[in-house]
Order: sequence, then C-alpha cells, then structure tokens
Amino acid sequence: MTVLSRALRRQRGRITASVALVCLHQTAEAMVPVAIGLIIDRAVATSDTPALLISLALLAGLFTILAMAWRFGSRIGNEAVEREAHLLRVEIAGRALDPRGQRSGMRDGELLSVVASDTEQAVQAVRAVAFIAAACTALVVSAVALIVVEPLLGIGVLLGVPLVVLGLQSLAPLMTRRSEAQQAALAATTALAVDLLSGLRVLRGLGAQHHAAGRYAGASGRALTDTLRAATTKGVHLGLTTAVNGLLLATVAGFAGWFAIQGRITVGELVAVVGLAQFIAEPVQTLGFCVQLLATARASAGRVTRVLDAKPRVEPGTAGVPAPGPARVEIDQVGYGELDGLTLRLHDGEILAVLAGSPREADELLTLLTGGVSRDDYRGTVRIDGVPLEDLALDTARQVVLVERHDVTLFAGTVRANITLRGELDDAVVSAAVANAAAEEVPLDQDLVERGANLSGGQRQRLALARALATDPPVLVLHDPTTAVDAVTEGLIADRLAGARDGAGRATLMVTSSPALLRAAHRVAVLDGGRVVAEGTHDQLVASDERYRSAVLR
Amino acid sequence: MNQLLPVAGPRETWRAFGAEFARMPRLSTIAAALLIGAAASMLVAPWVLGRLVDAVIAGAGLDEVIGHALVIGAASVVGGLLTAAGAAVAARLGETVVARLRERVMDRALHLPTATLERTGTGDLVARAGDDVAVVANVLTGGGPALVNALLSVVLTAGGLFALDWRLGLAGLAAVPGYALAMRWYLPKSAPYYTRERIVAGERSQAMAGALHGAATVRAYRIEADQVGRIADRSEAARDLSLDVFKLYTRFSTRMNRAEYFGLAAVLIAGFLLVRYDLASVGAATAAALYFHRLFNPIGFLLMEADTFLQVNASLARLIGVANLPGRATPPVSSEPVDSGLEVVVREHRYDGGPAVLSDIVLKVAPGERVALVGASGAGKTTLAAIAAGIIPPSDGDVALGGVPLADLGEERVRQRIALVSQEVHVFAGPLATDLRLARPDAGDDEMVAALERAGAGDWFRALPDGLATEVGEGGHRLTSAQAQQLALARLVLAGPAVAVLDEATAEAGSAGARDLDRAATAVTEGRTTLIVAHRLTQAAGADRILVMDHGRVVEEGSHETLRQAGGRYARLWTAWEH
Repeated sequence: MTVLSRALRRQRGRITASVALVCLHQTAEAMVPVAIGLIIDRAVATSDTPALLISLALLAGLFTILAMAWRFGSRIGNEAVEREAHLLRVEIAGRALDPRGQRSGMRDGELLSVVASDTEQAVQAVRAVAFIAAACTALVVSAVALIVVEPLLGIGVLLGVPLVVLGLQSLAPLMTRRSEAQQAALAATTALAVDLLSGLRVLRGLGAQHHAAGRYAGASGRALTDTLRAATTKGVHLGLTTAVNGLLLATVAGFAGWFAIQGRITVGELVAVVGLAQFIAEPVQTLGFCVQLLATARASAGRVTRVLDAKPRVEPGTAGVPAPGPARVEIDQVGYGELDGLTLRLHDGEILAVLAGSPREADELLTLLTGGVSRDDYRGTVRIDGVPLEDLALDTARQVVLVERHDVTLFAGTVRANITLRGELDDAVVSAAVANAAAEEVPLDQDLVERGANLSGGQRQRLALARALATDPPVLVLHDPTTAVDAVTEGLIADRLAGARDGAGRATLMVTSSPALLRAAHRVAVLDGGRVVAEGTHDQLVASDERYRSAVLR
Repeated sequence: MNQLLPVAGPRETWRAFGAEFARMPRLSTIAAALLIGAAASMLVAPWVLGRLVDAVIAGAGLDEVIGHALVIGAASVVGGLLTAAGAAVAARLGETVVARLRERVMDRALHLPTATLERTGTGDLVARAGDDVAVVANVLTGGGPALVNALLSVVLTAGGLFALDWRLGLAGLAAVPGYALAMRWYLPKSAPYYTRERIVAGERSQAMAGALHGAATVRAYRIEADQVGRIADRSEAARDLSLDVFKLYTRFSTRMNRAEYFGLAAVLIAGFLLVRYDLASVGAATAAALYFHRLFNPIGFLLMEADTFLQVNASLARLIGVANLPGRATPPVSSEPVDSGLEVVVREHRYDGGPAVLSDIVLKVAPGERVALVGASGAGKTTLAAIAAGIIPPSDGDVALGGVPLADLGEERVRQRIALVSQEVHVFAGPLATDLRLARPDAGDDEMVAALERAGAGDWFRALPDGLATEVGEGGHRLTSAQAQQLALARLVLAGPAVAVLDEATAEAGSAGARDLDRAATAVTEGRTTLIVAHRLTQAAGADRILVMDHGRVVEEGSHETLRQAGGRYARLWTAWEH
C-alpha cells in the first residue's frame, strides 16, 4: 500500500512517538483494575492507613501517566494523520490540475471525491497502525500481569478471550454489509430530497409536488427497512457480546474464587484477575475494528494511488515562444475524432469564424488547439507560428493560443480578480475589455461565489469574454461566446470584439453559429464531416449556400 | 438576504418529537422495559463479585463459589437476550419516528406555499431536507442506541452503588464536580470551534470543487500553480483548525481522567473507612470500586458525544420547524371553471414594496388561443407569466380561469389546470421514466415515448443506451440544455393541463436547436390555451396574438402581420432580428 508506506516514511517521527505514548496509555489502562485489586488487598482488607495513603498516591501517578500519555500520544498521532491528509490533498490537486492533463480516467466529480473523502479515508491507515500497536501492547501487558498472579488462569484467559472475541468478529462482515446497505439507502434518500427540492420550481409548475412527496416517502420507507435490518444485526451482535463476555467472566470468577478459597491467590488478586479478564476484551475488539478500518482505507488508498500514479496525457516539447509567422495557426490534414482531414489556416490579423457541423466537431477542434491532445491520438499536423504544436512547451503554446471554452468557469473572488486571472492589469485595460464584452453593468468589486453562481448566465458569459480580451493573447479562440446574451447586446459585442481584435500581431478564431459574430468575421469556414466544405464571407455564403442559410439564419 | 424558514423552540421540538413516540404507545413501553431490563442485568455481575469476595474471606466452600459463578452466567444470558431484543425494538421505534419525521418535512417542503418559497429560496429547504435529515438519521441510527444504553448504565450503576451502601454512593458523587467543571470548561469553547471547522472545511472543498470544475480554464490561463496554492492554503487552514479542535478535546479528556481519579479515590477511601469501622464488608467495598470503574466508559461516552447531541438538537429544531408548518389546504370546491379561458388583470405589481414592475395590464386569452409576450429583458414578461400561471398573486389585480378566481380554486386545483414551464431547467436524477412519471405517476411506457416524440425528443431518446430506463440527471447520462427543455415539454404533455404557460429560454440551443424547440413547443401546446414568453421573436411569429411589453406595460397588441405592418416597436424589433 503505497499511501501507507509514504505516510510512514513522511510522518516517521510523529508516528513513532505517538505509538510509544499510546502503548504507554494502554499499559496504564490495563493496570487500573490490577491497582484496584491491590488496594483492596493491601489496604482495605487490612485496614492499613499508611498503605492506603501510599497506594492512593501511586494510583494518582498511574492516572497522571494514563491521562498524559493519551493526551500527547493521541495528539501527535492525530497530527500525523492530519498533516499527511493535507499533503496528499495538495499532491492530488496538483496532479488533477497538471498542465499536461492526466490519464487516471476519472471524471471531475470522481477526482473531487478522491480529493475530498478518499484522502481522509486512506490516511486512516496511519491511525490503524497506532491502534494495532496499542492493542498488542495492552494484550501483552495484561498477559504478563495475569501470568504473574496465577499462570493457569492467565493462560486460560489469554487463550479464551481472543477466541471468543474473534468468534464474535465473524459476524462483522455481515454487519459491515448491512450497514453499508443502510448507509447507501440513507445517502440515496438524502440525494433524492436534494434533487427534488432543487427542481421544486419545475415540480410546482406542473403541480407535481405530491407525486414527488410520494416518491420520497417510498425511498424513505426502503431506507427504513434497510436501517432496521442493520440495527437488528447490530443488536444481535451486541446481545451475543454481552452474553459471551458475561459467561467468560462467570467462568474466570468461578475458577479464581476456587483458587482463592484454596489460598493459591489472595482476595486482591481475585479482584485483579476478574478486572483484567474484563479489560482484555477491549484491545481484542480494537484489533477487529482495525481490520475493518484498514479494509476501507485500502479501497480509498487504491483510488488515491490511481491518481498519483496516473501518466500525463501529453508529452509536451520544450521550444519557447516562436517569432510570429504570417500564418499564426496552421492545421493540416488533421484527423481526430470527428475531424477528418481538416485543413485550416488562421492568418495574422485575421478574425476567422468556424461554423461547426456538429457539437463534437467544435469541441474536438478546440481541445486540439489547447495542446491537450497527445501526439499519438491525432493524425496530421498543427503548427503554431510555424512550429509543430508538440514541439512547444505547453506554457508557451498556451501563452500564444488562449482557448476560452463555451462552458464558462469563473472563480470565487472579485469580478476584477476574475478578469485579471493572470495577474494585475491596468485599469484602462480592464475597463476596455469589460466595455468590449458589454459587461459594464457588473461592478468590478462585486464578490463572486464559487463558479460565479451569483451572476446570471449572460453575465458570466460576458465576463469570460472580458477576461479573454483583457489577457490579449496573440491568438484567441472563442466558442459560442454570446449564446446567453440577447440579440441587441450580441450585435454590440460582435462589433466591439471585431474592433478589439483587429490589426497585426493578433488573430482570432471563433467557433459559432451566431449570425452577428459570423458577419463580424473576415472569413467564415464551414465544417461538415470533419473538414472544410465551404469558405467565404458571411454575406457571400448567405447569398450562395442554401444549407448555410438554413443553418445560421433564424 | 432571504428570510429563513421557522425553527422550533426547544420545548416545541421535544413536544413534537415526544408526540411521535406517544403515537406508538405499546412499542414505546416495550422498548423502555427491555432497555431498562438490559441495563439492570449488567449490575448483577459486580454485585455478585462483591459477594464472592466476602464469601472467600469468610472461608466459603466450593459450592458457594460455583453458585455465585452460575448467577453471573445466568444474568449474562438474560442480559444478552434483553440487549438484543431491546436494540431491535428500540430501532424499530426510533427509526420509524425518524422516517416519519423526514417524510413529513419533505411533504411540507414540497408543498410550501409559493409566497413563502419565493421569500426563502430553495437553499434553506435543501439544507434542511438534506443535511439536517442526514445528521439526525446518522447520529440517531449510529449513536442513539449507544446513548440510551450509556444513559441507563450510568443511572442504574449509580443506583446500584447507592443500593450497595448509601455511603459508598455518596463517595462516588465526589466525581460529579470534576465532570461538571470539565463540561463547563469544554462546551463553550468547543461549539464555536466546531462551527468554524465546518465553515473552513466547506471553504476547502469549495476551493477544490471550483478549481477542478474549472480545470480547462485553469489550464488555458496557466494559473495551475495559483489554484493549487489556493487549495493548499485552504487545506492548511482546515488542517490547523482540526488540530486545534483535537488539542482542545484531549485537554478535555485529561480533565475527565482527573474527575475519574477523584471519584475512584473517594470510593476506595470510603470503603476503607467503612471496612475499618465494620460498617461494610470488603466485598461491598470491592463491588463499589468495580461499579465505579464500570462507569468510566459510559460517562466518557456521554460527555465526549455531548456536542454531537447538541448538533442533533439544533438539526431537530430546524426539522420540526418545517414539519410543524400547516399542511396543504384546499378550499372547498366552489364552482368549476366553465372553460379554459384565462383572464388576467394586473392594476399594479410590486415585489415586497419595491418599484412597480407591472401596471395597467389586462390580458385575456380565449380557450385554445395562443398569445405571445414580447419585450426586452426587464420588461416584466416573466413576472406576468408567473402571475397568469397563478404562481405569484398580483399585489393589486385578479386572475380567473373560466370565470373562477384562482384564489377560490386553491393552489392544487389551479396546478392541475395550468402548467408553467419556466426558465429553470432541472433533470431529475434517476431513470428517465421516473423523471417523466413525476408529471403523471401512472403513465405507461408507450404514453411516455409518445410524449417524448411529441416534444421532439424522439431522435435522441432512441439513441439512449437503455431507453426509458437510462439514468439521467446528476451522475447519469448528461442531457444537453436543449434536450432537458424537450424533456420539460414532454412532462407538460403527460401532465395534460388545459392551460400552458411557457417561459423557456432557448438561447443555449444554438439556431438550429432553437428552431427544433420552437416546433416542439408548438406541438405540445396544440389545443391548449397557451401563453408564451417569447425570448426569440420566431416564437412570437406563430402566435395568434402578440403583446409587446415595455417597462411593465403593454405597448402594442395584435397579430404578427398587423404589428409588422403597423411599423411600430414590434416591426423594428422584427427587422433587427431578421437582419
């Protein structure tokens, strides 16, 4: 288990200290019943006042050791766990956001749950290690104490208790299964409630609330059945544990009493033996619990490792920023997904619009331009300023070509911070970009929540455009930047965008079906079946191409 | 900010919660008897062990020792049986109460009066029906039996200590001030910590969710290092706070150990004195010490879990607050609407005393007629549509269906007759058929397929891997926004209302997709009295009549052709639209 071994390596000092202290704590815990027996024997039964005072002082010492060992041992152990979880979280976040991408095959949602919950589960293995060490210590100490008192009883208890507890543990898999089913049913009920209430306005529009309530009641009833099944199993286990522990105690008490009347052990030793017999069940149960803890931790550690060990999606080159060429982007005979022999040039100073034949085509063209596709996964060549894309360092490629995708993401922070993602910019630059994206009505100092959820879809879209314009990359690639904007504003944006991106040193590629943007472009390339089937200005194409007309006109 | 839903006071909470148990009196009595019996049987062993010690000191024979051992064994078997039965019965009782509570909360939440919902938003509701229900269910299911068990153990063991010898019992009370001081020290400190811990943990996961969700943007703008740094900062803050909270917790447990020591020492000293002056036997002193040692675990559990139970208490108060809202009320049947004609008069409408958003509107839609609302954003189209659908009552005005005011019909009967498909698109998670059946639970497969076909969803529906059984929504097959809107139209077909109000934005669909949606909207409203909010002018062109709105007033009215030829605002809009 690599996660565990990394943790053990990185948190070596803390884990060692914690294990030592927690073992000391367990030893002290085991000594409490022994101490009670000794005090009864030496002080209470004999009415010996000095012995009572000395033993109470010693008991205070025992409690101090017990309390301090736990306080610092568990604290240091907890620190090891929390620190390791933090390190893992940051490492995984780094992998998930690696510029080169990663091939773990996990979707965003899965990655998020790996970062959020699996890291925490996986490091529980560290806790389990400490528990196991402590439980073993407690067992050894109790065994020694018992054997010192009376070897026969000691050996009997040492063999009997683990057998009984491990026997009871055989119910554990069934309990785990049932309680997992119960957890799943409860989680499903919660998810259903959240889902139905998130769509409450939709339900209300149709008067479908009572159908929804009925559906929830059904799910709640099923969760109840699963919960009761799990609770009954747990109850049976609890009852069995109670009965068996009691029978064990009765047996030990019987034999210890017999030995006591024979004079082989004292009354105090009788009390100590009985107390130890009860205590010993605890560390054995802890061991059983650790087995389960390790099992869950292992599943999570597997997922964590899958992300940490995932290979990057692309192997980028190392070339730096090339000198601007006459053709900023050259796509030659590219085959990738639905793209089939696509050849397209984006010249310096040009605003080129691409009308995609299908959403996948559009998406694949954009993904290709981000440099996020492995060289082995596409045919043909893509050149940026004359240099093959795969030879450029990713940072360079993305510095030259900025792809602002349709699926807009804003981040928590001010509007201004979202526009100046790459670092502070002049006020003039920011306000020009905001004006060109027709987003003036959003105050720059407004605070956004995560994903900009406190803005309307249209505002988010225009801010993303403003952010791209403010960054002012040599090559800007946009995808349907105005779909959530009304027609009048769309026309305004098309004009200003064309003005802002005009001139030498810049080139712009827009994948769009908006007539306003298509008209604002210098040239329109129409894709179908993965290649360019028609080219010209918007007006030429409207005049000459019936299919173009039906695809873009309203 | 939004007003929140009601929260029940402590007394109301426990009364409502207690009333649920009172509804199952027999089960409650049996559960209580079993749990008390189980806890009581646990007292037998230490007591008999004390007797055994006395017997050994008095020089008893083997048969007496065996007798004591047999009593312990028998008590254990009985205790085991009672424990198992008690756990099962208590679960049946407690879990049924929790299930009923969550169902009632959800029922009230779903039927929240429109006015309340508009004021509170759905966020608070979702948090209550989701998080709070989960907290109550998880803690009561996982910790409830243990809590009851620990409580009973403490009470009965303490009672046993007194029954053994009241002086030994009094000595045991020496632990109480220590425990009380520990709690008084801990609780006020921990509560704000836990609140902050939850907030910081929330910020941490939001930072991660934001960055991962926006991975494409993060890469495009080459801000990977910034984002990972932000995540690291939040994670570090959350880690440090967790460490502090744990530190506090360990200091608390030291104080508990101290209380344990004082209690145990007091019991031993009292035993010592009582034995010395022949007021009690060594066996009684032994039993008392063993009793007291047995109290450590349950008391520790109760005190350590105290804040969890405070948290449940808070969640419960929030749940009872919703559960105690009045149920849905349907006014007695007045008169049936004579037809599906809709009459809307809004003299004025304001939101919460704000500026007037609608004024002087008279809108009559004849049965089967199709009317479109046109105007710039902010002209009041969506508000008027919501008023016409009976979702929002106008602050000054009347809405009637077939001659009957909507208020007389009651919300439920209105919704059976008038459906609103709003801009809010939601695909319900689960099989597609389950989503569709929300509109009509008894719909057969063929009806659902026909509804999808009519909504123009036939093509993509046939391409789904498992047809109607395909999982859609969160975590399932992702539908595009255009497909989700077609699904909403299919639900409308299944619900089959006489009046349809459509306020769906089709912008995201792109030109070709928008045309498909327009066609689908026309198809599904065929034969119904229809009011369409036209976000695209083409939606208006096919309507029988068009109302052009501006700043909350109707400024033009007529058919597409009439308005176009009139050369007014609509004509200008149309020219701009058509280019």
